[in-house]
This record gives sequence, structure tokens and C-alpha cells, in this order.
Amino acid sequence: MPGAWAGQDHALAALEDALKSAEADQAEIFVAARTGEHTRFAGERVHQPQTIVECQVMVRAVAGTASARVAVSSLEAARDAVAAASELARRRDGASGKADTVPHGVAGAATIAGTAGLWHESTLAWDAVARSVLAGQIMDAARSAGASVAGVLTAAVTELAVATSGGQRCYAAATEAGFSLTALAGQASSYAADLGRDASGLGVRERAENAISQAAAAQDVIAVPDGVHDVVFGGLATGELIGFVPDFGFTGPAVAAGIGLVATRPHAVLAPSDITVADDATAGVGLPFPFDCEGTPKRRVELISAGHVGGSVSDLASAAATGGMSTGHAHIARESSPAPEAANLILMPGGASEAELIAGVERGLYIQRLWYNRLVDAEAGTVVGTSRDGCFLIEDGRLTAGLQTGRFTESVLGALARTDGIGSQLITQPVPNVWNGCSSAPAIRVRGFRFGSRQGKD
Amino acid sequence: MRVPEAGSREPGSLELSAAHQWGDLARGTAGPLLEAAVGTAAGGGASYADVRLSETEELRLYAVSGRAPDERIEGSLGLGVRVLVDGVWGFASRPLRDAADAAAAAADALSNARAAAAGSRERVVLPARDAECGCYQTAVAVDPFAVDAAVRERIVSDALAAATATAGVVQAQAGVNAKRSHRYFASTEGSRQEQHFVESGGMVLAVAAGHDIVQRRSYPNSFHGNTAAAGWEYVTGLGLPEQAARVGAEAVQLLTAPVIGSGTADIVIGPAQLALQIHESTGHALELDRILGDEANFAGRSFIGPDAVGRLKYGSPAVNVVADATVPGTRGSFMFDDEGTRTRRTMLVTEGMITNFLSSRDSAARIGSESTAAARSDGWGFLPLCFATNVFLEPGTGTTDELLDRMGAGYYLDDNRSWSIDSQRLNFQFGTEVAWEVRNGKRTRLVRDFSYGGITPQFWGSLEASAGPAEFRTFGMPCGKGEPKEWGFLSHGAAPALFRAVRIGVA
Repeated sequence: MPGAWAGQDHALAALEDALKSAEADQAEIFVAARTGEHTRFAGERVHQPQTIVECQVMVRAVAGTASARVAVSSLEAARDAVAAASELARRRDGASGKADTVPHGVAGAATIAGTAGLWHESTLAWDAVARSVLAGQIMDAARSAGASVAGVLTAAVTELAVATSGGQRCYAAATEAGFSLTALAGQASSYAADLGRDASGLGVRERAENAISQAAAAQDVIAVPDGVHDVVFGGLATGELIGFVPDFGFTGPAVAAGIGLVATRPHAVLAPSDITVADDATAGVGLPFPFDCEGTPKRRVELISAGHVGGSVSDLASAAATGGMSTGHAHIARESSPAPEAANLILMPGGASEAELIAGVERGLYIQRLWYNRLVDAEAGTVVGTSRDGCFLIEDGRLTAGLQTGRFTESVLGALARTDGIGSQLITQPVPNVWNGCSSAPAIRVRGFRFGSRQGKD
Repeated sequence: MRVPEAGSREPGSLELSAAHQWGDLARGTAGPLLEAAVGTAAGGGASYADVRLSETEELRLYAVSGRAPDERIEGSLGLGVRVLVDGVWGFASRPLRDAADAAAAAADALSNARAAAAGSRERVVLPARDAECGCYQTAVAVDPFAVDAAVRERIVSDALAAATATAGVVQAQAGVNAKRSHRYFASTEGSRQEQHFVESGGMVLAVAAGHDIVQRRSYPNSFHGNTAAAGWEYVTGLGLPEQAARVGAEAVQLLTAPVIGSGTADIVIGPAQLALQIHESTGHALELDRILGDEANFAGRSFIGPDAVGRLKYGSPAVNVVADATVPGTRGSFMFDDEGTRTRRTMLVTEGMITNFLSSRDSAARIGSESTAAARSDGWGFLPLCFATNVFLEPGTGTTDELLDRMGAGYYLDDNRSWSIDSQRLNFQFGTEVAWEVRNGKRTRLVRDFSYGGITPQFWGSLEASAGPAEFRTFGMPCGKGEPKEWGFLSHGAAPALFRAVRIGVA
């Protein structure tokens, strides 16, 4: 696949040049570009082979007591965007009366960590032909096993460059490789996925074969027995669960509003001491990246630190509101107000293999994948969702019958509190709608997690 | 294959209103770019190709209590090219800087199709069809982009102040949004289309905390508010400041409202919650690409099979679901979908029986049918997939009060708080922001943390009646699907409806 869309020299020169045209008190400008190649396949077809190039240049200008952002889709239009943002900010400043709040400033010059580990030639070499051939082989293997398969193989290059009137200048480019696939056989299914910077570490073929074998061996499924079970969540399911932790009050705006665990229960004990959930884009896990779209270096933030309530992620605005420093988590989600985002979550691994976790369950459930999980109660940490592919009954410490979809309404905090085993292998999955977002988690064993109906039990 | 000259097309004959006269893609500039991409694709061996060229500008002003308001205008200009080479699809998209990008995107799409042939064991057979040409524009009374910044600011700040006026509200958010876009389409079959859209919307959210719990209320819909295909007149009609005061007060009232136990009950579901119910359990379940397994890895499959038309009883005789993008004013209103199919009114469910799917050309051809113009994409950057359009439950007769009277005892609920449905679109559980207990046909006390669930065909089988057209409402919403995940922008509508013996409380 091609390399960087913008490139460091071109990107920083264009931002630098554009910034000169700012007629505002302060200004920041970033370009986020991404070239993504995706080989989607299902049944007997590579049905959606795609190359998607995206580029957004966003300017934020501050004039008096007002600010404004303007974005365009090419670096060539960056100067126009700076001029438009400056004008809009000045117009808003003139239009507003006495301001109750003042806009936050822009990042000053700060040292950015190195970019080692972000760029892998193996990912660039994983081109469209190589991915298509592999997809065909996986579909062939599924057919031979009496199964079918659907999935996606992805290689991408992500770039971010930031320049501010405060003197910050930073650029980084990173490769990205990922896959996910669902094997279907009879009523049974299995699933595999992983994501990282280096395509050579994915092991797609082997993991595809395992998923196909697992689905083909099961064929039939039984209903998830209603009740409270000992459950081993695979790394992907665990990653889904810990994805809710930031919602429990671990963000700057929540702290400023006095809502959630950091604001109301600082340092409280939530879970055993071997549970640490961190947002850490500086670790060599998942999709590391050294700074955010405001140009602030990313810092490791332990949300749950050795079982205790830890800290919160922030951007410049929420840091100003709470009197702290930004942790480098600025994010602008689509159709949403800008807000800090924990984009690189990790549940720190333990020492057990997944097989050892399963072996420690006499009768229970193995849950590989969760689906359509939604927050119900941020105070209690309650989430509603369902299991999906690759879920099995555990009997006498081993996987037996395949399971149908099962529904749960459970507290993530409660599940973490009842975790008595943590796997050693991290699996990473993307977090949709979050720039460079992912979560990485190992398998965990939870003693007591309800699946199915509570009817008549409340 | 015949590629007509740009001058022979119908587009250009429509007089655009002032709200649509903006941007770089003025008439005359789009045509050569489209032809360059189509020509490159056709010359490179594509048996079929289509090109979507679009320019979009989106304005958002949000204010969160305690923070300075954030206003942004996001512009985007680019194109996507889809080709069929030797029965294999290929797609590429990129931002548009000059004509070279149009040819480059087409070349990338051709390259992808040829690469994909190495893995594809089946070939696509796409039935040919005649060219479709035409123009479309959203009716706009007041151009939202011409509204003065101070006016926007005033509405939002007034709404924020009203939402936080009740003691106990700890956080509030208010916002307004507008979007305008030019979309041009050309295909090797000779289709040449242009569509010009304007959307406007607004939202307010109040969060109250106390008694160790947190509650939220929103208006005019939860999460993203509501957006319509209309001008600024839609925003002023929302009455955001007045409604903000109500939702702020209700959020605080919920802090001391009781929680009811699990069981079964009769319920009347309000239009905002019912719109999401339709989206999740009807719209998604009837997407033909999902039914055929194309989305099995991410969005999932469906409990509905490809042979369901005329055979599968989906709901009660009161269930009549329509896909009709010709109805103006919604986020799912358009003339042509994103592969150039002219939209029409399509009954999806008729008196409880499945009668059609939301389909694209590719998926329809695989079951020997015709596209229902549901191939839609997230702008120029993404492939068209089967998304809902403007899909709604046809209203019945009478009023909500008459429905409540008919129900006697039960609950009236609205505005989504949480939503979850399995990957077959069968087993669901939804929570609502608000519910009122109904006794003797009258709303009484407020209850909090209400949820209900069920199995899709049984649930829709329990629909007894809907209120009449006067209480019908539509809600625009985004929807995620595909790999990489893209958003579809669509609309659902309903009048309040009465369901019997529904499971309430957690599953």
C-alpha cells in the first residue's frame, strides 16, 4: 500500500504557512489523514475491496471571549480555513454579550515522545493482492470444513500533525494492521480479531483456522442457561466490558460536574489489586500514538489503579475547568461536542493462560464476543448487552456445547470486583467512532455473572 | 457501453434556491470531474462503474454548562468510484483537490477489483438497466447558514440557561446544527444525477444528580437531538428554550421517582422511542445485504431469510411499515440512492406480513429482485450499503389519550436511554429516559429506569393499535454499519402505539 498521504515535511510546512494567516489571539491547526485499505469478504466473494483516503484539516481560532473551528478536507485549503476560523471567532466575539466562560487556550511547545514502534514495513507490504489471496484461502478452508466465513483484512497509514500559535509543532505517522472474521457452521459460530501496528504479528491464517475448526466442531448450539454463572470472558469480550469504564466518571467533564467515581468516590476500592485499567497510548500495545489533536503529549492515566479509583482523562478545556493539566486526550467526535476520550484502554494482563482460566471453572460459560452493549446506569456501572459468536458451555474445566446468543444486564464494576483470574495475552480491537481508538484486554474469569432472565427474581 | 456527453444530461435544468447556491461544486465544475472518473474506469476495463462526487458543509454550535461554547464548520469535498471488473467489485475514494484525483480514485478502484479477483470464487452478475437522470433539492424557507451567529448563540444560551434553572441539574448541553451538501452521481450506464440537501437540527440535554443517582432527560430526541431536511425554520419551531426548562425539571423529578419491578404490562410507546424500535428491529432486520450474509462479521445477520416475502408473519395486522424516501423533510428523503436508483414508496410489512426488503442492486439481483433504492453511503468516502431510508410505521386512528384510555392500566414511555439487540435482530432490550404509570386511562406518577424487552416478531405481534396521523412524528438519526464502520443518515417515524403484554424490567 502507499505510504503517508501528507508526509511530515509537507504537513508541517502547510500548517506553519497557514498559521501565519491567523488574525486571532490564538490559533491551533491539525491535519489528520488516513489511507485505509480494506479487503472485506463473505461466503465466496471478496465483496468489498476498498481504498479510502481521508484528510481533515481543522483550525481553532480564539478571539477575545469566543472561539471557532473550521475544517476542510485538503492541506491546500488550510490557509482558507485559518482565515475563516479567525473571522468566525471574531464575529462570535462581537456578537456575544458578557461571557460567563472564556475559551481555553492552545498548547504550548512541549516535547513529544519518540515514534519508535509506530511504523512497520510489514504492514505496507500487506497489499491488496496479498490480502485477497489470504481471504480466498480462508474462505476455501471454511468451505472444506463445512463452514462459511466473513471478515475483513485491513492495512492503513494514519498521520497527525499539529501546529499552534503557542509554539507546538508535532507530527507522527503510524501503520495499522487488523483483521476480524466470523466462522459459521450450522447454528454455531466462532470469531477472531486483532489489531496493531505490525501486520506480521497478527497470525491471521492460524487464528482463522482455529475459528473455523471451533465453529465446525460445534455445529449445534444450546440456550444460555438463565442464572448466575462463573464466566471466562475472552480478551475481545473483556475489551468490550472495560470500554465502559471511562463512562463511570473517569473524564474531566464528569469530574468538573461532580459526577461519577473520581468526583464522588476518590481512591475507593473497586476491585482486587491485580485489576488495573489504564488509558495508555505510550505503551507498545494496540495503537500507540504520542500526542493528541491539540498537540498535547499523551500521558498514561490509570483509571482503576491496582483496584482503586484512579484518575481521569482530560483535554485542554476540561483541564482548565478542573485546574489541572491536559492528559492528552482531546477528541472531536462526529456530531458531538468536543470532549476528552480514553482512546487506548488497556486492562493490564495477568499470568494465566486462557486454558488455565477455563480449567478453573467446574461449570460455567466461555464468552468470546459481546455485542450491542449499552450503558444503563453509570453510577452502578450497569451495562445491557448480548453474547454473540464463539460462546461455549464450560463443563469440568473444558469447553463443550456451543451457546446461542444470551442477554445480560450486569454491572461491569461488579464483574471486575469478582474477577479472580486474568489472562496473559492481550487482544486489541478497534473502538468505533474514536480517532485511533482501541481497547486491549486479556481474558478474565468472573465468579458470578448473570445471563438471561431476571423475571420473578427482582 | 455508451457514456453520454456532459451536455446531454438533464441535471442543470433545475433552478436552485438560494440556500443551495454555495461552494466549489457549482454547475459546470462537477461534470468534467465525473466524466474524468467514469472515463478512466470505463477505459480501464470496468464493465460497470459509478462515481459519487460530493461537497458538504456542516455547522455545529454546542454549549455545555461550565464550558465556553464550541462552534465549528466542517467542509469536505471528495469522490468515490466503484467499478465492476470481470464480475468483481472494487472501490476507492479520496478528497478532491483537482481533476487528477478523480482519475486516481478510478485507477485505485480498478486496481482493487483486479486484486480481489484473486480471492473471489463467485462473480457478480449485475443486471443492466437504463440511465436515470434528474435533479433534487431540499425545500428551505430560511437558509441556516445565513442565520446570524448571535441568533444561534442566543437560542443555545437560552436553552442552556433554561435546562439548568431547576436545582439539581448538574450538567446540561444545548446545541444547534445545520448541514448542506451537493451530491453528483454518474455511471457508465449513462445516469447523471444531482441532488442538493439542507438539514437543520437542535438538541438539549439535562443531567440531574442527587440521592446517589443520576438521571437524564433530553429533547427533541435522546443522544443526537433531532435533525430534519429543512432550513432554520425547523430549529425555531423546536422551541428549544421552552422545552429545555421542561426536561431540566423532569430530570430532577426522576431522581425521586420509583423503580418498578419486572413482569409483563401493556405499554404505549411514544414516537421517539418507537422510531428507534423500528430502526433496530425492523429496518436492520430487513436489510438484504445483512440477510444474505454480507455483514455477518460486524453488523450481523437477520432472523429473516431471503425467502420471507409473502411467507413470514412479522407482526400483527396493525403493523404496516413503509420505506418512502419521497416523503420530504426527513434525513431519509431523497430522489436517488447512492447507486443511482430512483426511490419510490415500498411496503416492507403489510398487515404484519413481510412484503419487501431494503435492498441494493447487488443484493436484489442475488434474489432475482429489483433494488428498493436503499443503497446509501456515508458521503463520498464510503461504499453504499443497505441502510434504511425513511422507514416508518403507518399511523392508525385517534389520539394518544384514546390509546391510553383503551389500555386502561399500564405505562406510557418515550425517549431512549439504552438500546441493545442481538446480531440476528431478534432479542432486544431497550431502556427509556422516562415512563409514566397509567391508571384508568390517565398518566399518573413518573417512574425511572424503565426498560422493556422481547423477541421481535412476538413484540410486533402484540401491536394492537397506533394513534392517528396528527400525532405522527419523524426522527432523523445516524446508523453505523460496514467495515470500516460508516454512518448512514436516515429517518424513522411513528405515532404512539399500544402494545399488549410486553416484558418490562430487565431481561
